[in-house]
Amino acid sequence: MNRVTTIAGYLAGFALLFLIWHLAAVYAVRSALFPSPIAVFPRAVWLVEEGILQEQIWASLRRIGQGFALGTALGIPIGLAIGSFRPVRLLLEPWTEFFRFIPAVAMITVSVIWFGIGEESKVFLIAYTTIFVIIIATAAGVGAVERNKIRAAQALGASRWQVFLLVALPATVPYILTGMRLAMANSFVTIVAAELVASNDGLGKMLWDARLFMEINDIFVALVALGLLGFTTDRIFRLLIRAFAGRYSPTM
Amino acid sequence: MFDRAKASPRARTREAALLPGAFPPSLPAMVTLEGVGKTYQGRAGAYEAVRDFSLELAPGEFFCLLGTSGCGKTTVLNMLAGFEAPSRGAITLNGRPVTRPGAERGVVFQGTDSLYDWLDARDNIAFGPRLAGVPRAARRAAADRYLDLVGLTGQGDKHPAELSGGMKQRIQIARALANDPALLLMDEPFGALDAMTRNILQAELTRIWQAAGKTVLFITHDIEEACALATRIGVMKRGPGGTLKAIVPVDLPFPRDRTSDGFMTVFRQVHALIREEIVA
Repeated sequence: MNRVTTIAGYLAGFALLFLIWHLAAVYAVRSALFPSPIAVFPRAVWLVEEGILQEQIWASLRRIGQGFALGTALGIPIGLAIGSFRPVRLLLEPWTEFFRFIPAVAMITVSVIWFGIGEESKVFLIAYTTIFVIIIATAAGVGAVERNKIRAAQALGASRWQVFLLVALPATVPYILTGMRLAMANSFVTIVAAELVASNDGLGKMLWDARLFMEINDIFVALVALGLLGFTTDRIFRLLIRAFAGRYSPTM
Repeated sequence: MFDRAKASPRARTREAALLPGAFPPSLPAMVTLEGVGKTYQGRAGAYEAVRDFSLELAPGEFFCLLGTSGCGKTTVLNMLAGFEAPSRGAITLNGRPVTRPGAERGVVFQGTDSLYDWLDARDNIAFGPRLAGVPRAARRAAADRYLDLVGLTGQGDKHPAELSGGMKQRIQIARALANDPALLLMDEPFGALDAMTRNILQAELTRIWQAAGKTVLFITHDIEEACALATRIGVMKRGPGGTLKAIVPVDLPFPRDRTSDGFMTVFRQVHALIREEIVA
């Protein structure tokens, strides 16, 4: 019942969005530069039939997946170390606080110079945008473990290592997952910017080419594809967080 | 500065000025605190939470440490648990000095945030045996026995978020007992519960204590609770510099009848001692 209501709400929300878009295009703007969804849809079907859209989507998603996995794999242990050991925190906190304010978009140029316009530069940028979010979320999670949880384990005979592995780590999992969800949203922003500037394929490249050749419908297909992909990914993340971490934390 | 080399802890305690009733009758002491003090160094200067606290606990007794808020009773428990080091004096358990937390001293905390939300009730209780390397099947079977003991038969699959405040405190008690500690330290475990649940759990605790045969140090600010549970009640002076003011033996049979004359007599005696600390 609840799930049905949720899905019905989503469908109605999207229908309303497309309706407003249609009305705005046909009755308000009335310009060739702002096509209605009715004009865009056949173009999307054609792009899918030709296999072009899937190719661009796959190119972008693959880069996000690789960079995100790399950034997460590096970020979690660093975040745990920062949260657990004061000297590490003092040493590395300036790093995270410094790079946090240099957005991945600003790193595109240097990334292309270092890694070229191929896969490496995109994976680097996604990993870059992911890692600091993960580090900060993980370190915050370690710091938020209740003192009594740790004391209870000590009074049950836990060694330092056992306290870390069996108490601090599981207590931090919800924070890590939330950090991953935020990082995933950042990754979508970053991949488009990176592909706009320098790439041979991907949704960002598709946007750029469409501008060059004045294929206005292609631009809208790419935009809608980005929105739907981001929306779907975020929902999947939320479901995963519920499934895995709902029992980890009563507040999630 | 206390010098352990000079004399055995026991002998030194004999010399120290101890309150009447400070020695449990006949049995050798299991826990000793000798001239224990705790001073915190804060930004606003030094704060002496506990001063010259001396006490001995006999095996199997139920000792209630009673005092107004801020009298340092939780600090005494934290030092006994090994969470905090005393600034002065010495603490021993079965003759060995207490320097850090250990499995022979179980702790039940006031709040329920010490339970592990990601584990179900059974695995929370089995946490101590798990640390000790007890195989999964054996420790889960043991946890089920302790679930029975605390009256939560069949609730083992629930997570803490699905349990009431009273049930969570039962889980905490079961978790501490499943580790088979020599000494059970309880820091106002029923303080956050409603009056009805508290009464039920007090009766249950007496039953569990008798069944498990543990030595208990129980912190409370509730006079009736202390009179209902304790074999001896230690009344503390208010802080700062909290210390033992009097020790009242409670020689009444269990389960205690709270309306009996004997209970009333003890209650009045303890009440008068506490009242001085509030009014003064």
